[in-house]
Amino acid sequence: MASRRAQFNQQLLIDTTPLPADIPAVKEIGASSAPLLSASFFIGARCRDYNDDYMQCKTENPGRGEFECLKEGRRVTRCASSVIQDINTHCLAEFRKHWECLDDRNHQLWQCRPAEWKLNKCVYDNLKLEKKIPDQPKNVTPVELRPTQIFSDVRIGPGDGKPFAAARSEAKQ
Amino acid sequence: MAQDMPPRGGYEPVQYKRNLPAKGFRPGIMLLGMGAIMSYGWYRLVHGMREANELGREKMWARISLIPLLQAEEDRDQVRRYWADQKREKELLGENAKIYHTDRFVKPTFAVTPPPTTN
Repeated sequence: MASRRAQFNQQLLIDTTPLPADIPAVKEIGASSAPLLSASFFIGARCRDYNDDYMQCKTENPGRGEFECLKEGRRVTRCASSVIQDINTHCLAEFRKHWECLDDRNHQLWQCRPAEWKLNKCVYDNLKLEKKIPDQPKNVTPVELRPTQIFSDVRIGPGDGKPFAAARSEAKQ
Repeated sequence: MAQDMPPRGGYEPVQYKRNLPAKGFRPGIMLLGMGAIMSYGWYRLVHGMREANELGREKMWARISLIPLLQAEEDRDQVRRYWADQKREKELLGENAKIYHTDRFVKPTFAVTPPPTTN
């Protein structure tokens, strides 16, 4: 019931009334879908606990989570904002390259591997955040590290850089 | 009058079979070739499907990391609108009527909005 579509008599529904003053204000994330997708694994890496707290709160308050989980929601948003902020501070060029690539390529991650590797390396060097996809099969190369992407339109050439894996680069050192 | 007789030694055999050269490879070879092409196609397909599964997993985990963030923003907005609505109702009508027989948060089906403002 709570998920039904609202029907309004005007398309753009503007209600600028702010939240009451006793609710701490939080700045919304303000990023569009491509930067969010680009930073999603780093958000997941740093904000895992906050995200889990929030989802647990929503599960424990069925139907009332909108009111009861405001505090957890603020934490989630603050944490994600901090990740975006840090990436912007340290890896702005790589980040922008990657999300603009995603924006141009229909949000298909496999079209933008070289940019992604550069971003992952920069983020790992500066923020120690690592892209990790859980539950991948052990006996094959993880899909984000494959130098040939079957579905990509453009072949990854030798000049496009090497796949970056945090564990592998540490083992080399 | 002499009767019309078959020629000496009998007639030539009648050619009822078509005399076409057998073109192409032997059937066995053709079958083997088809099998080879199909195997290669399946090989590529299986690899593609496995990669597609992995890409799907990647996409799903990216989404899983983002869902709390997006949901939190949406919830905050809904609560803000709900409380603003309640306040407006209180000012206009003097009391808040409980319109649903439930404590759950119900997304409004109809909403009264203030006149459009520019900010």
